[in-house]
Formats: sequence, structure tokens, C-alpha cells
Amino acid sequence: MRKRVIAALMAGVMATALLVGCGGGSSASSSGGDAAAQDTQQAASSGGGSNVINLWSFTEEVPGMVEKYIETHPDFGYTVNTTVIATTEGAYQPALDQALQAGGAEQPDMYCAEAAFVLKYTKGDMSSYAMPYKDLGIDIDKAIADAKIAQYAVDIGTNADGDVDGLGYQATGGAFIYRRSIAKDVFGTDDPAQIAEILGAGTNSWDKFWEAAAKLAENNVAIVSGDGDVWHAVENSSETGWINADGQLHIDPKREAFLDISKNLIDNKWSNATQDWQDAWFADMKGQGEKPVFGFFGPAWLINYTLAPNCGGSAPGEGTYGDWAVCAPPIGFFWGGTWVMANKNMDPEKVAAVSELINWITLDTTEDGLQYKWANGTLNGEGGTKDAVASGTVMEKSDGSLDFLAGQNMFDVFVPANDYANGKNLTQFDENINLYWRDQARMYSVGEKSRDDAINTFKQTVNDNLGISAE
Amino acid sequence: MNKKKKTGYAKYGYIFTLPFTLTFLIFSLYPTLYTAVIGFTDLKGIGKTDFNFLANPFENFQAILSSPTFQLAFKNTVVLWLCNFIPQLLLALLLAAWFTDRRFKIKGEGAFKVLFYMPNIITAATIAILFNALFGYPMGPVNDLLMRFGFISAPFNFLVKKNIARGIVIFIQTWMWYGYTMIILISGILGISPEIFEAAEVDGANSFQTFFFVTLPNIKTILLFTLVTSLIGGLNMFDIPRLFQNGGPDNATLTTGVFIYNQAFSGSYMYNRAAAASMIMFVIICAASGLLFWLLRDRDEAKLKKEIKKREREMRRAGKGA
Amino acid sequence: MKKTTSGIKVAKVVIFIICCFLAVLSVMPFVIMLVNSTRSTTEIQQHAVSLIPSNYLFKNLSILLGKTFRPTVGFMNSMIISVCSTALATYFSTLTAYGLVVYDWKLKNAYFSFIMAIMMIPAQITMIGFYQMVYKIHMTNHLSMLILPAIASPSMVFFMRQYMKPALSMEIVQSARIDGAGEFFIFNRIALPIMKPAIATQAIFSFVSSWNRLFEPLILLTDQKKYTLPIMISLLRGDIYKTEYGAVYLGLAMTALPLIIVYLALSKYIIAGVALGSVKG
Repeated sequence: MRKRVIAALMAGVMATALLVGCGGGSSASSSGGDAAAQDTQQAASSGGGSNVINLWSFTEEVPGMVEKYIETHPDFGYTVNTTVIATTEGAYQPALDQALQAGGAEQPDMYCAEAAFVLKYTKGDMSSYAMPYKDLGIDIDKAIADAKIAQYAVDIGTNADGDVDGLGYQATGGAFIYRRSIAKDVFGTDDPAQIAEILGAGTNSWDKFWEAAAKLAENNVAIVSGDGDVWHAVENSSETGWINADGQLHIDPKREAFLDISKNLIDNKWSNATQDWQDAWFADMKGQGEKPVFGFFGPAWLINYTLAPNCGGSAPGEGTYGDWAVCAPPIGFFWGGTWVMANKNMDPEKVAAVSELINWITLDTTEDGLQYKWANGTLNGEGGTKDAVASGTVMEKSDGSLDFLAGQNMFDVFVPANDYANGKNLTQFDENINLYWRDQARMYSVGEKSRDDAINTFKQTVNDNLGISAE
Repeated sequence: MNKKKKTGYAKYGYIFTLPFTLTFLIFSLYPTLYTAVIGFTDLKGIGKTDFNFLANPFENFQAILSSPTFQLAFKNTVVLWLCNFIPQLLLALLLAAWFTDRRFKIKGEGAFKVLFYMPNIITAATIAILFNALFGYPMGPVNDLLMRFGFISAPFNFLVKKNIARGIVIFIQTWMWYGYTMIILISGILGISPEIFEAAEVDGANSFQTFFFVTLPNIKTILLFTLVTSLIGGLNMFDIPRLFQNGGPDNATLTTGVFIYNQAFSGSYMYNRAAAASMIMFVIICAASGLLFWLLRDRDEAKLKKEIKKREREMRRAGKGA
Repeated sequence: MKKTTSGIKVAKVVIFIICCFLAVLSVMPFVIMLVNSTRSTTEIQQHAVSLIPSNYLFKNLSILLGKTFRPTVGFMNSMIISVCSTALATYFSTLTAYGLVVYDWKLKNAYFSFIMAIMMIPAQITMIGFYQMVYKIHMTNHLSMLILPAIASPSMVFFMRQYMKPALSMEIVQSARIDGAGEFFIFNRIALPIMKPAIATQAIFSFVSSWNRLFEPLILLTDQKKYTLPIMISLLRGDIYKTEYGAVYLGLAMTALPLIIVYLALSKYIIAGVALGSVKG
């Protein structure tokens, strides 16, 4: 017995010694990955040579697109070595930052950033690593005009010198997505134009929306599921961001009003008081919450990735499938999105190839371009998920009609929606400041705290966690 | 003669500890020094690689100590730790006593011992998500159950109540770690020579007496380990509070670990402040565990030595007798 | 006499009931995990906790395998890291503890204090320096960076020392010396077996924690060939706009399975009997 334990220990030590010994060279044991992964793996083992582009992303979306591009363009001449690190555990940014700073052959050549933290990379602390698109040899002003890229996306992807260094492929301008049956019962119509009118679309004010909420409440219907649904619209409607010119915390009156909105939604029973991404929120999509919910604020991806799978069916008549429509929101906003960037310090030989990929993903408006396929759901064959894309030009010639929306063409609403969104009131601290603000709003709205206390705690938390004092 | 031999063997002390020393120097020296130094600098933000020492070297330390959020986080950490550690240790001691007492041959004893450690196997992220869902509002399993049995008439929003959120974190911590503590204690008890227990049994000691007068004194060194490591783990508590409600609601479960993480990784990347906060916690932990050592070690070691000698003498005598 | 036996009987029943209750609590998350791995993402989003299995197991499996989830690669990497770091940590921690307990040397107490001190440094910020170092010397994607540091595991040394102090009697060491045994021989053949219960428990903890390690591997292993199982799960969860929860739970269950097996294999050392015999070597 004793001998066996020692033998096992010794074997372990020896194995490790061996492993360490050859650890310096290339990877020792590549124990049979499947064939699909083979091409990327080959690329990886060469450690990022001159014909390999290192791509960093936080989901498999962009790597999937690039693989598709290489597959359909055999003369491209480069392979791609992808690194995907999820944002869930907060590891993507530290890893990307270290990799950009360390440089060398394995540094990222092309990388992606999500709306929640993109400003850090396009105009914040890490913007010194981003290569402006014009240095990629792209005639950026003309390309943006031709593709009709939404202004909010351009504003976010512009660095301090006014050069565009990041753009996306998805359009995340938001709309109001509502239940047709409820609209008919309460307002006598389910026509998107008329409902938009009733909700005060384009007025840039909440007044008519709350009037509608009161009317819905009389019929025991909540206008939204929880305060998280209106937050993105409130955030975007403010003239100023969280930080003023002196680098101090500034609470825009429209954002401060979120406290009252949040409280009203609960006190007037205008919502089901759910929290986004929790069980009860999803149940409201199926119409099985405490009381029926009229609609959700969201961009196109919310329809396809969240509402449709949670509606309780997959064909008209099942669950709430086919009972939905999209209309313009009272206040323009956007929610989420991915921006693609290039590393300023990459090997000059790779610039042309990276430029080709970025152009194809973000600016190509032809039917061979990524966005056309993305908008029509044909990137991976017919019948895929349709999504709104960054280019207005592409959406104009694409078909965004969905059975889920009873045949409505969602692009009719989402193209103008992108113009209402505001990309100028953001800061690189928003992800965290928003969290603190919504936490305090919740405490106030459920009656755990007074309004002043909530604001004071918020200021204190921002000051202590981010080193940003209140003005 | 004895002394001479001891010095001869002393070199083995250095040899046997050499791998540890080398590994530490290679892998941890730089990170440790880095942390110790940047607390005195203006290193902030990740894009900035050069840094200067501050004119007032303790500026970061003062900022942390005077910050109400840090004070609250520290208070939370102590409360959360004490409230989970005390029941956890008592439960673990009780179970360890039951499972090692030959008089209670509990049915399925082996299975229980193995099962109690199981919650520790699942990653903290999964557990945090499950508990979050359990207490969901306005729909969630706990609310459903309470309403079905008529305890409440309308769904209750557990997660916005500060003390309930704290209670849930305390429960999770206790539930995840009592099995671990129990195993440590059992292994300590198994290290005690069975003859001591046999002797106690022959002397007619009952379960309580055996536990308090034989088991406890003999696992004092292991108890010290449990106390100190739990203190360190508890004051660095991070996973569950962060993953469960991200320190919320309203900072009710914000621990110093989460605070330090926020300083370093949320938006402002204040590495210097985070390092200063880390060093402050380091000093506090050192002082607290120093106290534990002082309370438990000296008396203990002298006593143990005496007891070992006594035991050896007795054994020799017994051996001679037989 | 009779009274005590009946007292013990009552106590036994009470203890048994308490244990059963705790056992149910312990098993619950595994049941939920297994049940959820048979449910669809939508079902989970509507009711995250349920005890009623559904019939989406194979669909979840195909979703899982359709993504970058490659169980064999992840399993091998996780296994290499966990087995090697556990072996190194337990062996060298026992060795270090032996050096601290058996020999009298000048810096002994100072050295022990030093080990205790490094154990007390909060890890959240120290890791930044470590990542920086690994990236600067271009040693990312080497599993050894996650294995070798295990040689210096302060808390394990602490445990081994605490355990060894009462358990290892100097007399045994002395008599072995008289028999002409070398110091390393004594450690390997006499001290190690005595430490078996301690090594087994620490091996379990070390294995479990290194198997579940997430943050460091996420940052240091960026090559898909080097991904560990938890990294693959984190990728599944990371698709922020459309997370496949059913597949995530299935992945979690698959990750926990090897752990449970290793744990059960080692657990016989936790259960009395085996260990008791070995003390007297």
C-alpha cells in the first residue's frame, strides 16, 4: 500500500518534470481535437506567424464570421488564430489588456469590444492601441456615408482625435416591442404607426407613454415588465453623460428622474416589478407573469435571441408567437453591440489582410458582404436568424419580415431607430456606474431607502470605487 | 553528543525547504513586491505603464481608510465571516465527534462523511446563480413554496432586504464549507493514536468526556490551522458575495475582497488603491492570526511536549510490563 | 448499563436524522444540475430550479458539442493541471513541513513566519503582477505556469506541519537513523506513510480547487488547444445575448463528474479504518 502511494507520487513528480522539460517547446500532447477545429489549431501551433491573424473576441460570433470569410475566399492567404474569452467572469478585459501591452508575435491583431466597455478601447485608457480605420487604408468618411452607418455607432467608435477606430456589424438601435392582442383590446388597434402615436414616438418625452401606462393599468395590464426595461431609454435620453468636463460625477436630471420612474412603475402597478434576466422577466414574455405585460424596449437582437425563444412557442398560435409588433419608441436608445478594432502595433505586413476583414464585416454593403447575409439570416445557409445591421443601405435592400411579428418587416422600424440613438453621452465608466445607479434606484423604489439617501450612497460608491467625486 | 548531531542534521532543514523557497522566488516574488510597492505610487489605469512615487507616500492608504465604503465593506466582512464560521465550526466539530466515536456506529457513516463535502465541489458561480434563482421575485421557488403553504399572501422580494441577502450569503458559506472543516478535523482525530482512545474507554469515560478531554486537546494544532485558514479565507471572502449580488443590495454584502476587486478592475483601474487596500487587509489578517497563534500556541506546545514524553514513558512502562 | 445503551440508541436515531437532512442539502445542487441538463434553455429561463426532468438531454448535448466545447481536450488539460499540481503540492508541502518539524535550524521559526505571511496576502491584486510577468516573458499557454507554482502552497505546508507535529514521533526518526537510513529515505518511507490521511485530505482539496480554477486559466491560457473544462463552460455562458443554459448545465455536470469520481476514489482515506492502521507504521 505504502509503496503504491509513493510510486504514484513519484510518477506524478516525474510526469511533471517531463512536462516542464518540454513545456518550453511547442505543445506536447495534443490529444485528438476533432476535425472541425483543425484549421484554427494548425494556425495556433505556429504561434502567430506572418500569415496568421490573431483575433480576440468575447463570443464566437466574429470568429465564426471570419472563418466563413476564409472559407469563401480561398485566395485570402491568411489563417486566423482565435482567442475567445467570455466576459461573464470579467476575464476578457484583463487578458486583452495584458496581451496588447505585452506585444510580440502573439499579440492580438484584431479585437472586439462590447458596448459596455468599448469606450475604454476606442477613446479611453486603451485607445492608444487602436489603429484608426483610415490607417488601414479605408476611405472612412465616404464608406460610412455610403453604408449609412448610424451616427451613434460612429460616435462611439471615434477616438479623441476624431478618427474612427472601431465600428460594428450589428445595429442595436431600440424600439418598443408590444403584444398585438393587448393593443387591440386596450387601444382598439395593433397598427404599429398608431401605437407609436399613442406611446408618443419621437416626442422625446415620457408623457404620453405614462398616459398609456395608466390606461393599460385600468385593464390590469403592465406596460413594461420591470424598471430595467425602461433604463436603456432613460440612459440614452439624457443630454449629458455621467462624467462632466472636469472629470466629476454628474447626474443628468433625466437620469435622476429614473428614481421616480422606477418608483412609479411599482407604486402605480405599471410593471410586474421584475428584474431583467431573471425568471420572472422571461415569464412575462410568455404572458405567464403576475399580470400581462404590454411590451419590452429592445433592439432587434432582443426579439430574435430573447423574446422569440421565451415566448412559449415556435409557430403562430403557440404561446405569444406571432402576437408581437414593433413600433418606434417615445425616446431613442440603443442597447448592446460589438465593435471591431485593429491593433496599431501589428506587423505591417498584416495590415492589408486585417483591413480586408474589417471592411467586409463593418462596411461592405454588397450582397457578398457580411451584413447582407447577417440581415437576411443567410450567413450559415438559408433560414438563419435575421438581425438588424449597422448599414442602413444594407437594411433597405434586405427583408426583415418575421413570422414572430406576424409578418411585419422589422427594418422599417429599426432603420430610423438607429438615428434616434445617442452615442455622445457615454463614458468608459458607464458599465459600473449604471450598476450602482440601478442598485440604488431599486432600493428607493421598493421603499428601503429615501430618495436623498439613495443619491448620497450612489455618489459615495462611485467616489470610493472609481475615484470620481461628485460635482 | 546530542547537540552535535542536531547541527549536523540542520542542513537538511534548508535542503528540504529549498524547493518551496525557489518556487516562491521564481513565481511569487515579483507579484508580491509589485503589490507591496504600487500602493505608494500613482499607478492608475491600465494604459499607463510608468508610475511615480507619491509625494505623500501614504495618500492611498489614507484614502482607503477614510472611505465609508471600505469601512462598510470591512464591517460586512467581519460580520459575514463570524456568522458563518462559528456555526460552521460547531457543526463540523459535532459531526467529527459523532463520526469518530466508536460507540455510535451510525448507519451509512461513510456515505455521510463523503456527501457533506460535496457542496464544495461545485463552482461558486453555479451556486450563486442557483441561489439567486431560488429567491427570485416575483416568481421563484421559495416564493412559490411559501405562498402555496400560506405563509405569505403576496410574493416577497427577498433580495432587496439587506439582512436577508446577508443571511443567504452566510448560509451559502456555511453550507459550502462545513464539510471541508469536518474532513480536516476528522483527519486530525484519525492522527491521534488509537491507544489513547482505548485507554479512555478502559477508564470508563463517556462520549462527552472523551471528546472534551481526549479528542479536543489532541487536535489543538489542527484547530489552530482551521482557525487561521478560516480567518484568512473569511477576511478575503470574494466569490460568493461577488457572484450572488455583486456586493449588493445597497452594499450589504460588499466584502473587502469585492471592494479591492472593484478598485482594480471596474472602470478606473486604480491598481494603486487596490494594492493599498490589500496591504491594509494583510496587516489586519497578520495581526489577527498572530493573536490566534499567541492564544493557542505557547501553552499548547509546552503541554504537548510534556504529554508526549509522559505518553512515551507510560508506553515504555507498559511494554516492559507485558 | 441498560439506560446508557438505550440513550445511545436514541442519540443514534437523532444523529441519523440530522445527517440525512444535511445529506439532502448537500445533494440538492447536483440533482438540480442534472435535472437542468435535461431541460431546454427556455424551460430553465422560466424556472431555473426544478426537480422534474425534461427530454432535452440529447439536444443539449448536440448544442454543447456544436460549439467550441471539446470534452476530450478540456478533460486532458484539466487532468494534467490538476493531477500534476496536486502531486507537486502534496509532496513538496509534506517535504517542507518535514524540514520545519524534524530539523532544528537557525532560521526555522523565521521561515515558518514567512510562509504564514505569504499565505495572508489577499490574492485579488497580487495576481495582476503574476499575469504581467507571465505575459512579459511570453509564457502564456504553457500549462506549467499553472502547475509549478503549486510547489509553494503555504496553506498546505501549514496544515502538514500542524498535522505532523503530534503525529510523527521523533523516536521513529531516531531509530531509523540508528538503523542507518538516509534522511530522504526516512522521509519517503517512514514519514510519508504516517502522513497518509493528511495527504489524502489535502490532495482532495487541492484537486478540487485546481480542477475548478477559472480566473487564472482564463487569462493565461488563450489557445483553444490549452483550454480547460471550466474555460469551455465559461465560453458557453459568455454568449451574452443568447446563453444556452441547458447546455451550460450539461457541461457543468460533465465537469463535475470526474471530480466526483476522483473524490470518491480518495474518500476511503477519509473514512476511518485505513488511516488508523497506518499510524503505527
